[in-house]
Amino acid sequence: MEKLPTMAERKSPGPNATSEEMIARIAPGREERVFLLLSIFIGVISGLLVVSFRMAIAWLSVLLLGSSPNPHQPRLLIVPAIAGMVIALLSRYVFPNVRGSGINQTKAALYIHNGYISFRTVIGKFLLSALAIGSGHSLGPEDPSLQIGAGVASLISRRVGMSKEKLRIFAPIGAAAGLAAAFNAPISAILFVIEEVIGQWSAAVLGSIVLSAISSVVVARSFWGAEPMFRIPAVTLRDSRELLAYAVLGVVGGFASLIFAKSLSYLRPKLRSQPQWSQLFQPALAGLLVGGIGYFGLTQVMGAGYEAMDQAMHAQFVWQMLLLLALFKIIATTLSFSSGTPGGMFAPTLFVGAMLGAAVGSFEKLYFPHLTGSIGSYALVGMGVLFAAFLRAPLTSVFMVMEVSGNYSIVLPVILANTIAYLISRVLQPVPILEQFTHQDGLDLPSMEEQREESNLHLEDAIQPVTVPVLQGSDTLEDALKALTQYPDANADTAVLIHCSDGLWYTARREELEALDYKPLSETIAPTVSHIDVPVRTLAERLGPERTPVLFPDLPLSSALPHFQRWPLLPITNRAMRGSLEGVVSLQDVLNRYQRH
Amino acid sequence: MTLETDDYSSMKRRLILRDTLTFLSLTLITVVLFAITLFLFRSFAAHREQLAQRWSDRGQAALQSGHPDQAIVALRTALSYAPGERSYELLLAQALGDAGRYEESYNYFLVLWETQPGDGFINLSLARLAARKNDIQAAVNYYRASIYGTWEGDGTVRRREVRLELTRHLIAHHDLSSARTEILIAGGNAPDDLPLNLTLAALLEQADAPRDALHYYQKILLQHPKDEAALAAAGRLEYESGNFEEARRLLEQAIRENETAGSSHEEIAPDIRLMFDHSERILALAPSNKLPPVERVNRILKARDIAKKRFSSCNAQVSAASGLASPLQNLGSKWTDKEAALSRAALLKDPPEQDATMKLIFDTEAQTEKICGAPTGDDALLLLLAKYPKAMEP
Repeated sequence: MEKLPTMAERKSPGPNATSEEMIARIAPGREERVFLLLSIFIGVISGLLVVSFRMAIAWLSVLLLGSSPNPHQPRLLIVPAIAGMVIALLSRYVFPNVRGSGINQTKAALYIHNGYISFRTVIGKFLLSALAIGSGHSLGPEDPSLQIGAGVASLISRRVGMSKEKLRIFAPIGAAAGLAAAFNAPISAILFVIEEVIGQWSAAVLGSIVLSAISSVVVARSFWGAEPMFRIPAVTLRDSRELLAYAVLGVVGGFASLIFAKSLSYLRPKLRSQPQWSQLFQPALAGLLVGGIGYFGLTQVMGAGYEAMDQAMHAQFVWQMLLLLALFKIIATTLSFSSGTPGGMFAPTLFVGAMLGAAVGSFEKLYFPHLTGSIGSYALVGMGVLFAAFLRAPLTSVFMVMEVSGNYSIVLPVILANTIAYLISRVLQPVPILEQFTHQDGLDLPSMEEQREESNLHLEDAIQPVTVPVLQGSDTLEDALKALTQYPDANADTAVLIHCSDGLWYTARREELEALDYKPLSETIAPTVSHIDVPVRTLAERLGPERTPVLFPDLPLSSALPHFQRWPLLPITNRAMRGSLEGVVSLQDVLNRYQRH
Repeated sequence: MTLETDDYSSMKRRLILRDTLTFLSLTLITVVLFAITLFLFRSFAAHREQLAQRWSDRGQAALQSGHPDQAIVALRTALSYAPGERSYELLLAQALGDAGRYEESYNYFLVLWETQPGDGFINLSLARLAARKNDIQAAVNYYRASIYGTWEGDGTVRRREVRLELTRHLIAHHDLSSARTEILIAGGNAPDDLPLNLTLAALLEQADAPRDALHYYQKILLQHPKDEAALAAAGRLEYESGNFEEARRLLEQAIRENETAGSSHEEIAPDIRLMFDHSERILALAPSNKLPPVERVNRILKARDIAKKRFSSCNAQVSAASGLASPLQNLGSKWTDKEAALSRAALLKDPPEQDATMKLIFDTEAQTEKICGAPTGDDALLLLLAKYPKAMEP
């Protein structure tokens, strides 16, 4: 079992730390420049590997299943079973980290292993995923491509000697490149990585992610051509009543994704809890069962299933057949994935979505022929629906459909159907499937959905009315102390706000003011100034040039925290009127607000 | 101080050298990887092309040998190796139709149509499938789109064929005036080709445009005066329009041409021969105005005898069944009038009486047909004359 670096190892200063510091001193902007340039290389190399990966899948498929796999061919039963056995042996003894789709593994690399993905894992993922998909296991090539890209990025960044901070960031950059090349859709890949891997928009990596994704797509298109992954028929929405049909599709997709997620979250831990020896046979058994589905008539569910998606999109199946295909694809993918066979969930999700969408479209055509939407547009929206509901990537799902179809008139149905499906899925399955997998694997990776929806607290959420004494900086110390006597509750710790003449504020404790009273004037002003020359000084002058930081109500609540070490109370001012007080926050106010959150 | 600066410079140089070497290696690795991928991809693409071709050939062979189900499987496989290949898609759509999967075929052609709405073949296929679905107007629209669409090869011929197919569709759905228009357009652009003109004329007949059809046959006969089919068809049309003399001439010639063509030639249709016989008999019976008065009166008297016998037999038949029918009662009173029994001499002297007698004969044949059914023999021919009284005019 290869050893992956942990967070503790990442934190411990090693010999690299001094060399990093040295390099930073010699060439201050080097890392940023190298970072951008490397992103392009990562994109190009990932693109080439993903092209090879797809070729390998296609070649293996022809080699193992024949050039025209059709029902009742015995090899449909034998090949996936034998391939499953080989995959199980290799993933047990040679490539131990290749199980799963690749998305969680990439996230784990980012959050746990300091961006480290071993070369062996990349090779293993490439070979075993290609063998699994090529032999007919119901899995897709996109997620493995994502991990292959992340692995390439990890490898290159390690070789170039980037700082540890940068090493981590390279994983999502490579992931975006791999996914973009596999999907021939750079925008969707970028969004997916941001939505599902990084979890938040970060200007620091966005530029590099875009560069690598575009580079990989350019490479992939130089081989496969610029055509989108699916031949999309004309997509139109002429009759607004059709939105009802899309809403129905959203409901159907929401429940289908629920069934899909439930079956995976049930079967996967069941199979993983079986004895070790039996796990060696699980991929073979899954292969046999998936092959059985193909043998008895539904060869379309085997492999990634792009051809069937294309056929569904071009209205080549009746709606009953489409529903059957969707159902058996869910079964086949659950079997293949739960058995630990390496391969992705993207293509099966799109497959199920396309079938359901086309089924709803065909049904509509049959019973409501006056509506004009093509079956292809329903299939396309169906893909987005499952993507939003099953993978819980609503933003990516919308952009994916638009990018794949190149048609913006479909945006309304997509948003409607995706939202319905997403809401159904969220309500009935609160924990997203990818997060469930991480929990099943004993990992605790950040939930991207929670991160996305986390409402950030601001100072205005903790702001309190001013109840402390407010003094003018132009007063003398004596006047100020006299004024304080009007506050009988004020003790030595009581904070006092002093409005200085420059519009800024100073927060002092009463004892600090009283201490000033005993302090010779020369200590509070510049030492060069003679005591005798100085007339009576104002309070502001006696406090010196230091002022409390300027804070506004819309700033993050956390922005106040560093200042409480110095200041007992922080004035919050209005952005429009310099120095105009909106309220105050104390450390206790901030903590109280966080505890209520 | 100098030592520190030297160290600093040398480290910087080493760093630049290291970065340069790193990027050179990366570039080299990328180039090598690209070359390997390109090589593999070319081989991969060539292999897929071969597979696509092989399966498409199998599909075509299956389609030609009447096994569309096998063709569908083969062509789908071909398309999986060459997605979007137009010719395979067209063949697949066609195979689906041949296999009786009309809905799938229709949908497939529709998808193809969306990318090439002006393609003649796709529109024609859609028209045929729409016609099969009994979507008459959609079929007409697709036929028209096909006529004005693009065709590979001899577009003029294909367009004319499609127009004739559209005509047949219109005739089948009783839109005869549109059908006639289409035929006339087709004929206007057609070369002087015998089989084509025969087809156009036949279609005009079906479109209930006998005059136009006859015109076409006459046109054919001008160039091919001995064409048996044209002679027979023209003779039939003349017969059906009451031009018995011209009909007899044409039909006689048609029969003669058939006989001279020899025993290997197909025997002329019996109805043509019958029509010829009838024409001859009508011409022998008809009291034409151009005949000498004596001969005309003789024929009138003969026709009067035939009609009277027909009346008597029909009258007896009706009386035996349910008493006297009122129309015949009226007719009976006319037959008992003295005008109905005028002698030859009286008729010769009085030409208006000749016409009145002929009217009585024709009325008798027409009314007895309604009550006692279709007549046979000379009665039937008199009835035909009654329908075309102009046949007796000079």
